[in-house]
Amino acid sequence: MQTCWGAYCVGVLLLVGTNACGLAIPWLLKLAIEGLQHPTPASLTPAQYGGLIAAAALIQGVVRVFSRTTMLNAGRRIEFLLREDLYQKLLTLDRPYFSAWRTGDILSRLANDLTNVRMLLGFGVLSLFNTVIVYSAAVFLMTRISPFLTLCAIGPFPVMVYIVKQMSASMFRRSKKMQEALSRLTSSVEENVSAAAVVKAYCREEGEVESFREVCASYLEASMGVAKLRGWMLPVMAATGALGTLVVLFVGGNMVIHRELTLGGFVAFNGYLAMLVWPTIMFGWILNMLQRGAASMARLGEILNAHPVVTDPAHPATDAVIEGEIEFRSLEFSYGQAPTLRGIDLKIPKGSRIGIVGVVGSGKSTLVRLIPRLFPVSDGQIFLDGVELNRIPLATLRAAVGFVPQESFLFSRSIGDNIAYGKPGATREDVERAAQIAGLAGDIARFPDGYDTLVGERGVALSGGQKQRVAIARALIKEPKILILDDPLSAVDADTEEEILRALSTYYGERTVLIVSHRLSPLRGCDRILVLEEGAIAEQGSHEELLAQGGRYAAIHREEQLKAEIEKL
Amino acid sequence: MHFGGIYEDEVVGKMYDRKLMRRFVRYIAPYRRLIWVVLVMLPIMAVTKLAQPWLLKSAIDNHIVTGKLEGLPLLAAGFLGLIFAESAVTFVEVYLLQYVGQKVMYDIRIELFAHIQRLSARFFDQTPVGSLVSRLTSDIEVLGEMFAAGIVTIVGDVMVLAGIVGIMLWMNVKLSLVTFSVLPLLIWVAFTFRNWMRVAFRQVRARLGNLSAFLAESLGGMMVVQLFNRERDEAREFRRLNESYRDANLPVITWDAALYAVVESLSSVAVALIIWYGGGEIVKETLSFGALVAFIQYIERFFSPIRDLSAKYSVMQGAMASLERIFGLLDKKEEEQEPARLLVSPPQAAAVAAAGGRRTPGSISFSDLWFAYHNEDYVLKGFSLEVKSGEKVALVGETGGGKTTVTRLLSRLYEINRGCISIDGTDIREMSLKSLRSRIGVVLQDPYLFTGTIAYNISLGDPEAAKRVERAAAVVGADRFIRQLPKGFDEEVRERGGNFSAGERQLISFARAVAFDPEILVLDEATASVDPASERLIQQGLEGLMEGRTTLVVAHRLSTIRDADRIVVIHRGEKAEEGTHAELLAAKGLYYRLYQLQFKE
Ligand SMILES: Nc1ncnc2c1ncn2[C@@H]1O[C@H](COP(=O)(O)OP(=O)(O)OP(=O)(O)O)[C@@H](O)[C@H]1O
Ligand SMILES: Nc1ncnc2c1ncn2[C@@H]1O[C@H](COP(=O)(O)OP(=O)(O)OP(=O)(O)O)[C@@H](O)[C@H]1O
Ligand SMILES: [Mg+2]
Ligand SMILES: [Mg+2]
Repeated sequence: MQTCWGAYCVGVLLLVGTNACGLAIPWLLKLAIEGLQHPTPASLTPAQYGGLIAAAALIQGVVRVFSRTTMLNAGRRIEFLLREDLYQKLLTLDRPYFSAWRTGDILSRLANDLTNVRMLLGFGVLSLFNTVIVYSAAVFLMTRISPFLTLCAIGPFPVMVYIVKQMSASMFRRSKKMQEALSRLTSSVEENVSAAAVVKAYCREEGEVESFREVCASYLEASMGVAKLRGWMLPVMAATGALGTLVVLFVGGNMVIHRELTLGGFVAFNGYLAMLVWPTIMFGWILNMLQRGAASMARLGEILNAHPVVTDPAHPATDAVIEGEIEFRSLEFSYGQAPTLRGIDLKIPKGSRIGIVGVVGSGKSTLVRLIPRLFPVSDGQIFLDGVELNRIPLATLRAAVGFVPQESFLFSRSIGDNIAYGKPGATREDVERAAQIAGLAGDIARFPDGYDTLVGERGVALSGGQKQRVAIARALIKEPKILILDDPLSAVDADTEEEILRALSTYYGERTVLIVSHRLSPLRGCDRILVLEEGAIAEQGSHEELLAQGGRYAAIHREEQLKAEIEKL
Repeated sequence: MHFGGIYEDEVVGKMYDRKLMRRFVRYIAPYRRLIWVVLVMLPIMAVTKLAQPWLLKSAIDNHIVTGKLEGLPLLAAGFLGLIFAESAVTFVEVYLLQYVGQKVMYDIRIELFAHIQRLSARFFDQTPVGSLVSRLTSDIEVLGEMFAAGIVTIVGDVMVLAGIVGIMLWMNVKLSLVTFSVLPLLIWVAFTFRNWMRVAFRQVRARLGNLSAFLAESLGGMMVVQLFNRERDEAREFRRLNESYRDANLPVITWDAALYAVVESLSSVAVALIIWYGGGEIVKETLSFGALVAFIQYIERFFSPIRDLSAKYSVMQGAMASLERIFGLLDKKEEEQEPARLLVSPPQAAAVAAAGGRRTPGSISFSDLWFAYHNEDYVLKGFSLEVKSGEKVALVGETGGGKTTVTRLLSRLYEINRGCISIDGTDIREMSLKSLRSRIGVVLQDPYLFTGTIAYNISLGDPEAAKRVERAAAVVGADRFIRQLPKGFDEEVRERGGNFSAGERQLISFARAVAFDPEILVLDEATASVDPASERLIQQGLEGLMEGRTTLVVAHRLSTIRDADRIVVIHRGEKAEEGTHAELLAAKGLYYRLYQLQFKE
């Protein structure tokens, strides 16, 4: 921002310069005309005057270019910095924050609201200074003719300021409403385009257009609310200027009649007053821009001033070395009011493999999400190697955890880049090894572009199973101490699954592994299996122990086997 | 790190301005009455503006100079009246112009949106969401700026200009010509700048699109970014895009400032020329002194509308660049192809009613399908399959084998390269897309939930489906968790269903397919994220429902397909095996192998 203040100062100086040149021209003109009227030997020839005027014009033009570019560029630079800050902020915000927002809303703020702010800071500031300069010059010249009359002339302005102030508050509200409507509009576009497959499959095109029409209509209405007010602002400004003229006509006229003012002075005064008309109207525009910019800035502030709950610890355990021991101490967690996890007590020794099963919505994903602190937990509930989770620096923690989310998100880059995402500076060999373990090498070999195959947004150009395995490879390449796999093989066939599990079992080594799964086959080789039910651990033990126990786990097992039996018939 | 050419939105090619404008005018045409009102008001406004100085002059000449105060209040009243008239006219004009602008934006937006709905799946595969968002929002907003800047009043500016030119010529032809001698330069500057400006504006719009595409994706993957500690790299990439956007704007600012300055300077130069030339004439006594002064005054008036025009000029160039992008998207020919002649589609509902509510489900035939997403890279190679009416057929096989692709082709999301798919003997290419797709209910492999309520997500606002919401939820066993929610079916669903577990999302999307009561049901891994017990409940629930429906089931979990009438194994785009469970086991082929793997103990 520092540099921008400088730019504004330089811009103002340049503006003064260009306006000075602008004022010099009529003065030269006056001299030229006087010279023509009463030619004296000392005066210049018309050609010389013409040359002088042309020179002044040239200087004025050049300075004008610089003054405008300096100030407008400053606006652009601030926009750039603001956008940078906003994105930096977004990168620090956590899932609880994002879950309350729609992507389209954020997109709209970073595009449309930022534009309003830029308009204010670039064009708005430029016009403001320009207006102030012209205004002061005119008022200065007017006071030299008659201070009293000047006072009369600008008498109506306080009234105008009052009216405009009233309008401003309303402008702010309306602008905000308009920007909100635009956000909604953006969100519905974003959602519609993302859901193209569903829209097509269910023939919802017409319905979507219909609801889009409504969203657009409400935006239209909000925009017209602003337009109406803007429509009022301009005439109010223009009328004030004209009222000033009227006052001058009466008061000044009287002064002329009573010989307190010369007629020439009166005419000149009116001329200067006319100079004020345009800046006054401009002032209306600026106020309008100011309110819109302020409303938008307030909306940007909602992002800039957001406080993530998941933050780096104030007193980090700097010496924390994560080896992979995890401990839950009567862990309670809830997304809202209803508890999602209840009384989880569990110690996972370093290097062990834990399987987690449970019905839909029992809290499996929630449990594993808490380890890399995707959601906040209160102090004293989770410990890694004896260190309170919230005291471990986020970067350290996340570097130690490899996470395969239940829903694979890929970036619209190449397969190779997506896998390498897990490890900055990964070599080709690293990528290939990870792909090999994730059972992806064969698929990639079949793609014409191999590792350079572009996967499309969110990985649309890959099959379900391919996407899932890229996400696995991305976590594996990281070589984490703790590996968390949330239903990692739900979209692959038995053959591939077998291949992956075999490769994984050698990869696991000393790592602590947590696998969530609905099918029991990926849990083979787990030291301990947890059965979650309504957020609590209902059963735990090894595969054999749980079978012997004859509880829920045994029921799941029976279910799978039973189906097999039926099929055998 | 530079992430390759993914966020490189195309810089839309050049269109001829005349064509562009003519096309744009078509959108304004419906509001021509309002435009006429504005145009008619322009002279009124001019009169109110010009009358004010005139009243002033008469006040000075007739009253103040003579010291006669009687008529003055009347004049003042007239002056006041003019002020009010001017305010009213200004208001109406500003308001109407904005109204027309907003309406035009509204119309274009809806048209563009409706057009996007018709674009093919292929188009969506290749186009980032964020870049479409930016076309539909910021690009169209730029058009609004054009109206706000008073583009229509250009007509007024031009009229004023013509009038002044006339007066000047009438006063003194020679002096006029001297003044106009700067015009060719001005016109040349304007035209050259136009091209430069347009090039710059195209870059601006395209780079803003890139920025928005990157941002949209980045917001979607924020969790992954944070999990992998890659904030710094994302920030760097964002900075690169942000810088490139900022830099694209700089030439625009420079050209704009330069144009402004050129106009301003040229007006002074014109004055200088007049002094130089007129001065000579006066010395030669061929020109009166008063005429020269008056002429200089007119030069001021002559350049004031030109200055106005030049200010609007760059706004217009920006709008034109946006128009190019908007029309470019509207001209995208990747629309889904409706058949030229509709063979089928006797209104299905009527046929069902005639059959007393029962209908015969469609039989499907895939014959010798060849299909590639890209060029010659075939994903399906001569795939054939007959599904009889009411049959339940399972597709299994290696991941990436082409199962989902088969289901997509059935809904005609992509065009087949070779071969044919027919339903009840009719080629699907001869059915309207709507009649085809409304017969098929698909549970997509990646469930998608909309923001809204659960009920909305099941019915998608379809009134028929809305009646079956609760029953459909019960069939797939989703009602158990839905009823536990505080608001039940009216519980709010956040973006992409973020506040539900993956299994719950899948159940809701399954319920959606059931609620639409289709005659052909396509289940693509519909229970992959569901536990075995819930899956059994779903199967029981579906049992009655499947009756009278043709069903295609894709599944990796073989237990899911145990009651299929026939099982087809797809391997690398070809049908490897086909038969009943028992037959395939006996054949000891791929299926047998998968089976052994899954149920070995
Ligand atoms: N939109 C697309 N664009 C380009 N290629 C695609 C697209 N969708 C799928 N493919 C490719 O086509 C092949 C078949 O994909 P498909 O989704 O049909 O497989 P699938 O049998 O459903 O696999 P899975 O069991 O993993 O879901 C894959 O190699 C995949 O990479
Ligand atoms: N972001 C969230 N906000 C609010 N509620 C949530 C959120 N995520 C999950 N829930 C709720 O918390 C419960 C547990 O969800 P979780 O994702 O942990 O289930 P899960 O055991 O992983 O289920 P699944 O087998 O379907 O993956 C569910 O009832 C779900 O609706
Ligand atoms: Mg889960
Ligand atoms: Mg698939």
